[in-house]
Amino acid sequence: MHDTGFTHHDLVLLLQGLGVSVGLFAATTIIGLALGTGWALLRYYRVPLLAPAVAFLAELLKNSPVLVQLFLVFFGLPVLLETDLTPVEAALITLSGNTAAFVYVIAVSAIESVGREQLETARVFGLGRWQTLRRVVAPQAAAFGVGPLTGLLVNQLQVTSLISVIGVVDLTKAGAILNVRTLAPFVVWTVVGLLYYLVARLIAWSCSRLETRLRAHSQWKGL
Amino acid sequence: MIEIDGVIKRYGANTVLDGVDLRIAPGEVVSILGASGSGKSTLIRCINGLERTDGGAIVVDGHRIDDPKGLQRARRCCGTVFQSFNLYPHLTALQNITLAPTEVLKTPRRQADDEARALLAAVGLEERAGAYPAQLSGGQRQRVGICRALAMKPRYLLLDEVTSALDPEMTADVLAILARLAADGTTMLFVTHEIDFARQISSRIVFLDQGRLLADLPTSEFFAPDGGLAQPRIAQFLSKMKK
Repeated sequence: MHDTGFTHHDLVLLLQGLGVSVGLFAATTIIGLALGTGWALLRYYRVPLLAPAVAFLAELLKNSPVLVQLFLVFFGLPVLLETDLTPVEAALITLSGNTAAFVYVIAVSAIESVGREQLETARVFGLGRWQTLRRVVAPQAAAFGVGPLTGLLVNQLQVTSLISVIGVVDLTKAGAILNVRTLAPFVVWTVVGLLYYLVARLIAWSCSRLETRLRAHSQWKGL
Repeated sequence: MIEIDGVIKRYGANTVLDGVDLRIAPGEVVSILGASGSGKSTLIRCINGLERTDGGAIVVDGHRIDDPKGLQRARRCCGTVFQSFNLYPHLTALQNITLAPTEVLKTPRRQADDEARALLAAVGLEERAGAYPAQLSGGQRQRVGICRALAMKPRYLLLDEVTSALDPEMTADVLAILARLAADGTTMLFVTHEIDFARQISSRIVFLDQGRLLADLPTSEFFAPDGGLAQPRIAQFLSKMKK
């Protein structure tokens, strides 16, 4: 018979798991944002070959289960490339690609939300492509995109829990370990769920502050 | 000098500009009159290169606009004010005015700000420099639009029905500013439905009808019974607009 009581080591294990989950979430969000926005720009500038290629890739990534993608990367990629892939590397690749695919969709619609007359005005005033993108399109698209992006990021945080199945000791995996040892599933999964909840609230709160800043121009302050 | 020679513009089977010839010399104020759909706005959009012409040539101060380099230089000579203002909604009035000078002309920020404030003061908006377009009335927005065009110190001001979206009071505000600019010798190409105002400030009136130039006359001649009014189409248009 083993000891089923909680110890302070359990808390350390949970916090380590939380750190892994949040760390992976942060890393894959940054990579996903950069990739997805880059893909959207390929489309915006109608780059031959690359634009349709990323559109196809995004469709593939959006329309298949993340778990299947994870298995493909973790088990399939090493066979194909004849290399080893750690669970964390596989998780990084899969989640970054998945986030990028959805960021791509948001970025494309955000860019398209910027009125044609805005682009014409910039052109008439002699702004170049890059200047127009940086000073006219990007700020307006960001204000438009941050709302849908909030929903995506909160969801992507929850999606990180899937990586526990390939052996990454994230928050969910830590919960599973504790669950087996303590035989107190209600307590363990409540705490794990609450920790996800708190991080999700933090993400939503940060995004909403960002949104307030980006949308300062459309806030009614009266004449 | 803006030289427009035999410009043709088609949208599909629809010919919007059908061989338009026009010259605008520095210092002139030329008003373009005509019914909706006569091609007035399209002509402006051809001059600032927003539409590709299907024939003819447009040359601004020696720069052909069908050549990319030429178009870039031609655009530096022309300032455009739009019917629906087209201000950048995410920038304040001041930033709307300084964007092009700082980005395109590389004017130092300080100097651009000072010049923009002077322009805003000239149109009675010095207090609203920090306001976003959504916080301004239509008339105020259009005044910012005019400042934005003037900030590039253009040789020619292209005005595309700039008062059509405004109520009479705001229209009067904006027209007063344009009258002052005209008196100061600003060269303007003025597409409008404000016939009385056009008569007041223009040195010449051009009348477009279904993409063709029906008249290009000094203002007094255009409104003379034996001048423009002798043409039935123009007489009809003017009498309709009077009502």
